[in-house]
Amino acid sequence: MPEKSTKIAILTPDELETPPLSLTQLAWRRFKRHRPAMIGLVVLSLLVIYALGGSIFLSEKFANFNDTSQRLLTPTIDHPFGTDSIGRDVLARTIYGGQISLLIGLTAVVVETILGILVGALAGFYGGIVDNILMRITEAMLNIPEIFLLIVMAKYFGGKIPELDLFGRTFSGSVVVIVLIIGLTSWMYLARIVRAQFLSLKENEFVLAARATGTPNIDIIFRHILPNSVAPIVVSATLGVANAILAEAYISFLGLGVQPPTATWGNMLDGANNYLESAPWLWFFPGLLILLTVLSINFLGDGLRDALDPRSRTV
Amino acid sequence: MTSYIIRRFLQGIPLLLIISVILFALMMSTGDPVATMGGRRVTRASDYERLKRQLGLDKPIYTQYLYWLVGNTWTKVDVDGDGITDTPGTRLGILRGDFGNSLVNRKPVMQVIGERIPNTLILMLSGELIVILGALIVGVYSALRQYSLLDHTVTALSFIGYSMPIFFIALLLMFVFAVLFKRWGLPYLPTVGMFDPQVGKSVGQVLYHMVLPVVSMSVVSLASYSRYIRSTMLDVLNQDYIRTARSKGLSNRTVIFVHALKNASLPIATIVGLDLPFLLGGAVVTERIFAWPGMGRLFLDHVSRADTPVVMGILMLVAVAVVVFQIITDVIYAWLDPRIRYD
Amino acid sequence: MSRKPIFYALFAILIIASLVLSGCGGGKANVATLIFTQEFDNLAPLYSSMWFVWTTWQMFDHWAWEFDQNNEPFPRLVTEIPSVENGGVREGGRIITMHLRDDIKWSDNVPMTADDFIFTWEMAVSPQNTVATTYPYDMIESVEAPDPQTVVVTFIEPFAPWLANLWHGILPAHILRPVYDAEGTIDNADWLKNPSVGCGPYNFVEWESGSFARFVRNENYWGAPAKIDEIFIRFVPDDASQVAALKAGDADMGTFISYSDVPALQDAGLNIVIEPSGYDEFMFFLVNEEKGHPALLDVRVRRAIALAIDRDGINQDLHYGLTKTPTSFWDALPYYNDPPLQPYPYDPQEANRLLDEAGWIDSNGNGIRDKDGIELEISHATTIREDRQDVQAVIKQDLEEVGIKLDVNPVDDTLYFASYADNGPAARGEFDIQEWSDGPLFPDPDIYYWLCDQIPTDENPTGENWFYICDEELDRLIKLQSTQVDPVERRDTISQINQLFYEKVYIIGMWQDPDVYAVGSHLQNVKFSGVTMFYNIAEWELTR
Repeated sequence: MPEKSTKIAILTPDELETPPLSLTQLAWRRFKRHRPAMIGLVVLSLLVIYALGGSIFLSEKFANFNDTSQRLLTPTIDHPFGTDSIGRDVLARTIYGGQISLLIGLTAVVVETILGILVGALAGFYGGIVDNILMRITEAMLNIPEIFLLIVMAKYFGGKIPELDLFGRTFSGSVVVIVLIIGLTSWMYLARIVRAQFLSLKENEFVLAARATGTPNIDIIFRHILPNSVAPIVVSATLGVANAILAEAYISFLGLGVQPPTATWGNMLDGANNYLESAPWLWFFPGLLILLTVLSINFLGDGLRDALDPRSRTV
Repeated sequence: MTSYIIRRFLQGIPLLLIISVILFALMMSTGDPVATMGGRRVTRASDYERLKRQLGLDKPIYTQYLYWLVGNTWTKVDVDGDGITDTPGTRLGILRGDFGNSLVNRKPVMQVIGERIPNTLILMLSGELIVILGALIVGVYSALRQYSLLDHTVTALSFIGYSMPIFFIALLLMFVFAVLFKRWGLPYLPTVGMFDPQVGKSVGQVLYHMVLPVVSMSVVSLASYSRYIRSTMLDVLNQDYIRTARSKGLSNRTVIFVHALKNASLPIATIVGLDLPFLLGGAVVTERIFAWPGMGRLFLDHVSRADTPVVMGILMLVAVAVVVFQIITDVIYAWLDPRIRYD
Repeated sequence: MSRKPIFYALFAILIIASLVLSGCGGGKANVATLIFTQEFDNLAPLYSSMWFVWTTWQMFDHWAWEFDQNNEPFPRLVTEIPSVENGGVREGGRIITMHLRDDIKWSDNVPMTADDFIFTWEMAVSPQNTVATTYPYDMIESVEAPDPQTVVVTFIEPFAPWLANLWHGILPAHILRPVYDAEGTIDNADWLKNPSVGCGPYNFVEWESGSFARFVRNENYWGAPAKIDEIFIRFVPDDASQVAALKAGDADMGTFISYSDVPALQDAGLNIVIEPSGYDEFMFFLVNEEKGHPALLDVRVRRAIALAIDRDGINQDLHYGLTKTPTSFWDALPYYNDPPLQPYPYDPQEANRLLDEAGWIDSNGNGIRDKDGIELEISHATTIREDRQDVQAVIKQDLEEVGIKLDVNPVDDTLYFASYADNGPAARGEFDIQEWSDGPLFPDPDIYYWLCDQIPTDENPTGENWFYICDEELDRLIKLQSTQVDPVERRDTISQINQLFYEKVYIIGMWQDPDVYAVGSHLQNVKFSGVTMFYNIAEWELTR
């Protein structure tokens, strides 16, 4: 390089050869800037570690171990969160309960995402009478308040599935029931979003091109249009986990959700108002954990929405 | 416009029919109302058979649905159990305004629901009022002071607000205002019911009992509405006409309240209009915690006893209200916003 | 910006005003407040089996004879209890003759006559009325009134349990017969929802759905007038609100108190009264070759299960020692529970020994016993109630310690008790062990569940033997006792049944399930009966 620098800006080889950032990298950058979302991510990770990692220290047998002479003890060193009405350790139960709650949240979202995509894609792509019928059904389900649907479905499916043995652990059959009914009552929102996406995208040129080359419809739906609508689906799924955890809490609080002895954060709150004064630790800790989980997921979802789809302004 | 309204009404009818079919099918399979009519013991077999026949529960599900829909005055039923259908039925069906009788207490469903609707409306309308006022105040303020400390605090609180399950808020409030206040000797709020029966159903009593339930319910909605108003206001405040108004020298207050808020209130009106009919659902969980004698608690009590007529009555009422309010909201929207035309 | 403070100020004024206006809800001078944790579905006699409805009948209506705190009958509407000695009971219990008092009148001054009794019977058996139960009125051949003060009841066959089951509340014929004649049914009669005319010490005044009901002293009462002016019944949704109201002195009596609240209430100065009601919580075994687990066919396995569960521990810890393990189905009827049996003790070692002897050993090392390739995995079902679910977890652990795996199934009660025809799981024999609270037809010792002809099948879907047990000796004894009118003979038969239940371990008593009341210190003279709960409500007094 000459000692005297010229006044004209010269592009260094570095700048010329930096490849443009991919979509994912751009999204990640935008995400990182969203402070609440980063906080949410950290808190959520901590909670997941609490729920999964805690089981390394406290066995499931301990969580289910009841000793009626130790019932309703206030928090002590032995039982940092106290004991419940038959002497089970509340801390251990929040750990295992957290596993089930998070599991329910995730699997319910899987169910509702599959349903929502199917209904939305078919309605949006084929239009006409298929669209009409599917949208009528969607509207019908939307017109009934979710909690009513949950209660009625919980009673309908309740008690019909026996205990399951998975991975060496026993789950009450009601876990499957709850996953099913939460999935069956939440797919409508996603279906509408997916349908809107399909309606707008299906007139695009790449679709016309695909049709022109004789691609079968299924391929067009799943390999061409759907990948372009991933952003709202991801956001909706994330927020759906929060909604599912809340829904499970509500329905278990009413006594119609997951049945004991399988613990979830929601059913630990069942009958909590009977112990409002006498044993506040029974409801405070599970409630707090639900709050933290849902809050961090909401932050996360907000950040994802800003990162993946900065144009959308819906709440 | 009229043809649009008529068309929407007509579209609503098959919707309501589909809803009623889905719900009826679910309800009929949720349990046996006669099974628990024995009080503390199992219902005797002879009574079981008789009650099923008298209440029309021995028919197949599609027949029951038909009777529920259009009644059975056009057919005969077997009243005395001899197997011969010889007496004409007396039910008119829901299409003729007869919601049937509750299986639990034999009272007409409309009477059962009618007794509870005012209680729910008191709770929900006050809650909605507080939510709208509060959300407007909070949302406008934080939009004006965007990115200030107040805005960030409010945003954080809003997130916390709608991340909490309602019953957790209720439990916390009950613990602080009823239990702790009592322990500290302060005047404390009641947590049960709508009024003290010995004092009577006075305005003061109802207001006094309303505080905790209304606040518990409002927190979640207030949180989400205020965020919505905030973002709408931000959108509006960035518009050109606002800049024009300011540059014309109008006072800040005029700009915000006369120009910005009026335009921002349009989507808000939509949200409120669409949310109102769901109020009839009566915040099931809140009513349960606070023993508020409203429709939500009625729903819970009667679902657990598998009382199909009452449950279907409540659900259909809500569904009809939702459809009607959607049409009203669309009409008001069109009236408020001259750019919108329906044909 | 100046509008906002106005809103705040208005809201604040509203709150302050209401706090001032409401004042504290305390007890008015001579008004008692009772708390019910469930709202009644309707108040009419014949139309409900709810405990909370039965309790109110002593307030505004009467039974022909009622039961005192020892569950002994005493005459109320009749001059004396019909018996063999006074000619009231003839033909071995087939014909019952009752003489009515001549001073009874309804609160509208119309005298009560035998016609009211005949009308009650007619309404009970009329197919147009959706009454809750027609028992025992469907066993009656005729009810006649040779004169207005005499009622003659003729049963189709001698009916031993007549004393406990007849005349649970009388309907006023002068009000309801016109309704029946006009409409063909009394289902929609106004009196069913507003029974303002009654013959009891109180009159019904109002019932606000979801909140409360109010009764006022009947000034026209034919007996000694009630001492308390008004009785309020408040409905609360759960125990916590009941306890709070009782501790605060807002209510004078609570019902169905749960055991965990008893210490707190006693500390607050309330009297806890426990009245046997005939109900005890039992585990019922399903013993049948086709349905149910083959292990349960062996009495040693059943006995091992009884020995493996620490029932005294459950009663001590979960019920604060307020209940005991019932030894027999007739635990609340000491007359028939003679000689009294001792419950199986908590002896897991003996349980292990019995299971080993029966051939159930853990051959594959998974912690659960097995035999011939079948694991000792038993299904247990009960309804969804917090205390039952707590107990299920405790039992599950107890049984695990002797190598039995318990499959717990909490089922919603409308599903649980659904009939065979509706695929009710209990009725279909899907559970090896069923648990619920039951007893004989208190205060009569009659039972009928275990009869062989009560086993539900497709041809007989209304069978009530959900345990699918057909034991010939048991069958014979049950049939025998329901025909024996002589109490001594009946007691002998029932002792034999009791002994059989004990030896064959068809049932395991878990805990007693009495009525538990909390009575405030201001409420005096309160006595309870297990059958006609508020039988002396006219004598209750308030000292404040």
